Amino acid sequence: MLRQTTYLTKRYGVPEGWTLPVYERDGGYQQAKRALSMPREALVEEMKAANIRGRGGAGFPMGVKWSFMPWPPKPEKPHYLVINADEGEPGTFKDRTIMELDPHAVVEGCIIGCFGIGAHAAYIYVRDELHLSKARLWGAIKEAREKGYLGAKPFGIDYPVEVYVHTGAGAYICGEETSLLNSLEGKRGEPRLKPPFPAQAGAFGMPTTVNNLETIAAVPVALAMGGDAFSKLSDLHDQKDGGCRLYGVSGHVNKPGVFEACVGLTLRELIYDLGGGVKGGELLGVIPGGSSCPILRPDETVNAPDPKSPLHRWHGKNVLDVPMGVETYRALGTMLGTCCAIVLNKNTDIVLAMHNLMRFYRHESCGQCTPCREGSAWLFRILDRMVHGEATMEELDRLHEIADNIMGNTICAFGEGTAMPALGFLRKYRKEFEEHVRTKGKSGTGRLAL
Amino acid sequence: MATIKIDGREIPFEQGDTIIKAAHRAGIDIPHYCWHPGLSVAANCRMCLVEVAPPPGRPAMQLDILRWDPEKKDYVPARKPKLVPACQQACAPGMEVLSEGSDHVEEARGAVQELLLLNHPVDCPICDQAGECRLQDYWLEHQGTGKRMQQEVVHKPKAVDFGPTIVYDAERCIVCTRCVRFTAEVAKDPVLSVRERGNLNEIVVSPGRELDHDYTLMTEHVCPVGALTSKDFRFKARVWFLRSARTVCQGCATGCNAYLDYDPRTNVPHRHRPRDNEEVNKYWMCDEGMLSYKRAVEGRLGTALVGGEDASLEEALAAAKDQLAGLKDDPGRVAVVLSAQHSNEDNHALLTLARTFIGAKDLYVSGRPLGRGDKILMSEDKNPNTLGVMQLAGAPAPKPIASLFDAIKAGKYSFVIALGAEIEVDAKDAESALSKLKGVVTIAAHDGPLARAAHVALPATAWAEQDGTYVNRQGLAQKSERALKARGDARPGWELVAKLGKELGYAMTYKTLADVRRAMTPEAPAASRDADRAAKPEVSA
Repeated sequence: MLRQTTYLTKRYGVPEGWTLPVYERDGGYQQAKRALSMPREALVEEMKAANIRGRGGAGFPMGVKWSFMPWPPKPEKPHYLVINADEGEPGTFKDRTIMELDPHAVVEGCIIGCFGIGAHAAYIYVRDELHLSKARLWGAIKEAREKGYLGAKPFGIDYPVEVYVHTGAGAYICGEETSLLNSLEGKRGEPRLKPPFPAQAGAFGMPTTVNNLETIAAVPVALAMGGDAFSKLSDLHDQKDGGCRLYGVSGHVNKPGVFEACVGLTLRELIYDLGGGVKGGELLGVIPGGSSCPILRPDETVNAPDPKSPLHRWHGKNVLDVPMGVETYRALGTMLGTCCAIVLNKNTDIVLAMHNLMRFYRHESCGQCTPCREGSAWLFRILDRMVHGEATMEELDRLHEIADNIMGNTICAFGEGTAMPALGFLRKYRKEFEEHVRTKGKSGTGRLAL
Repeated sequence: MATIKIDGREIPFEQGDTIIKAAHRAGIDIPHYCWHPGLSVAANCRMCLVEVAPPPGRPAMQLDILRWDPEKKDYVPARKPKLVPACQQACAPGMEVLSEGSDHVEEARGAVQELLLLNHPVDCPICDQAGECRLQDYWLEHQGTGKRMQQEVVHKPKAVDFGPTIVYDAERCIVCTRCVRFTAEVAKDPVLSVRERGNLNEIVVSPGRELDHDYTLMTEHVCPVGALTSKDFRFKARVWFLRSARTVCQGCATGCNAYLDYDPRTNVPHRHRPRDNEEVNKYWMCDEGMLSYKRAVEGRLGTALVGGEDASLEEALAAAKDQLAGLKDDPGRVAVVLSAQHSNEDNHALLTLARTFIGAKDLYVSGRPLGRGDKILMSEDKNPNTLGVMQLAGAPAPKPIASLFDAIKAGKYSFVIALGAEIEVDAKDAESALSKLKGVVTIAAHDGPLARAAHVALPATAWAEQDGTYVNRQGLAQKSERALKARGDARPGWELVAKLGKELGYAMTYKTLADVRRAMTPEAPAASRDADRAAKPEVSA
């Protein structure tokens, strides 16, 4: 159900909304101050109750993640909080709006997060291209430090906290948390083997929690409201998918942008109510949450006869009418991802769309694991031939095989992130692909943009 | 002991073992490229993927994939279990692993194999790795199909000079990072790294550097494919023509276990490479040692020398008898020089001649001078058998060679019988001292100061041409096997000692190496150690 909120976006559009005075006028930093005098367990419990599912794509419950940190911290093993602001998923552009328009929410979230996991330092890993984001974060950190909210005694409380901004170099793989940690340490941005998990040995080999930027920015809001009350904003509170979040919509819609709403919004509401409807005609498909999420067709219906399925309530309904939740979308065979949908209208050439995405994955594979390194490039090669009208049916039939063998066979989730959307395109648009091959590309519109 | 099951076969594991390590120890080969027992786990080649049954009562983790149904003419959703790399997955008691017994595993390995060869130039006919290349072996075992990608492969740098010893071909490289990890973790000189990403990945040497530390040839040795080649070995031999002998490196007192690869048709040695021995050299050798195989050929004493002129063995022995005339009258004027460069067998024979027959009192020991050592493998003592000589001689210990020349200058000796050509002191000094004596007889494999100064030099076989026992710095007696046929007139050192003894009229009865070894039974632990090792299955890493 569409319920727009302004908890996270209150200062969006407010003049000087990114500065400390405006943030404090809205009650800013009160929650950080409060958190630092709470018992740690109470804070973590509050966050568990808030049911904030990781906003970076994996949807892992944030409070639970915090509770994985070894406790109490050992003096020789300092804990770190790392904030993933390496927003690089195609179609995703929500985190940068927070950094640009409400950076103090991030800093406050970091203070609370540090206390929650026993850390005294937070690193915000930002894509280097996001110049305004970096400037606003640096500005906010400076203001907070001058005011004594960061440093040796934040708010006069003896719990030192520092927040640093670390800039990446534009590699998509550095958004994968262990690559990010390698990059943060000055190493080559390649995913690490797990175990050990970051909570055991993360940044600099120390226990580390990696949270997405939007996740941490939601922390002050959730704490102010109370974990349970925050969670209950959501239609999917019963699935432990709580609160409100940012939704993005881009592609062929009349009003692309970032919107805040309670969890439980449907794709139809996102596209038609918030996004202003499909631009230039009918809907061909929607990539729901960043390019790694398998595409949905508008004519798909939910098939969930099993009452235990998180989708059962929507059995028989159109997929566009399913609330966008971590569990509901997983059960649909796709992913919620970052909640930033890419809309394709009927005039889009589906082969070109897949070609475009596969080019991205070929380019961004770190090249560590054989299946991803070679497989992603092979997928692209065949699609490139298809786009040029050179591919054969045999090659079309090879695509799913390649993707099948990337799936699950790599160190990090990049492999699945490549294979899942590839299989999604093939399965749902096989007829179009066949037609494209048969007509040597003449059946397609040859267009991505309108 | 806790066990796991691999394809139904129960094998024990030790605390901290990964599946592949336990399997390796039990002689089960799980195919792999990037894993190496002596290096950290990278888990990047994905060849060792196995299926692990979930713990009892827990569902297996399944992944959604698609299969093509030719009858329906459409995709059908399917599921497959999440496979795990055997090199990364730790063993747990009772764990059930499917390797060859799982269709999913076989499919995954076949796919990895196909992907590795996708952009590979397949230039086996001109590749030195051919014949011992994992890409070839695993293609046969796990793929066996032709290339399905018909387009031009990705081109990358070829014949890149990495340094004085190594050449790199990025197109053949599978980026397993064994070489990168070796230089960082074992050689402690992280001079190699990976650059670019995706299928443009390649190995590079750090800017401003060369791959020039003491263990560069090991990068070629750990390379499972033909990406890194040794300049020394490049284009010299096809490995299927070579045979391997289990030798002990002669480069220093570490006594690294090695294979000497040689061409039996031409009697030419082509390379030395490490033979795994956890107690001595683990999986490694240094460049100096790996290149020391050349001493089997270079600098050799091919024929006997009498007064510096070539002579037959018979002539030389007769000349030696003449030179040593009068030795029996005064054994106190005889100095005998043992050699830390020679085997226990050779030294034992000489000791027998000296002590039992001649009755000489004064023993010395020669060898190569001290050199550079490190904390990895290289010993400063550049002789393979220093400890062996000391153990054989017992008390009083043989004196250093320098004191021999002082004693000669003081007029103490008339005769010197020496094993080995090399000395650790100034050669000119030695030669001038020795020239004053009545009789100097040297038995040596190589040309060197002791051979040059001798009235009579007898040509001994090099280590590669005879079986021998060497005691390394740890006190391990290790056997080295014969690889080559003797060059020129060379005979084993012990045999020459026996012939010399006979010529001098002593009853030296050594006819075979076995005779010598029987006579030195107390030094036999080498035999049992060897038997231990032979009993273990040999699965190459």
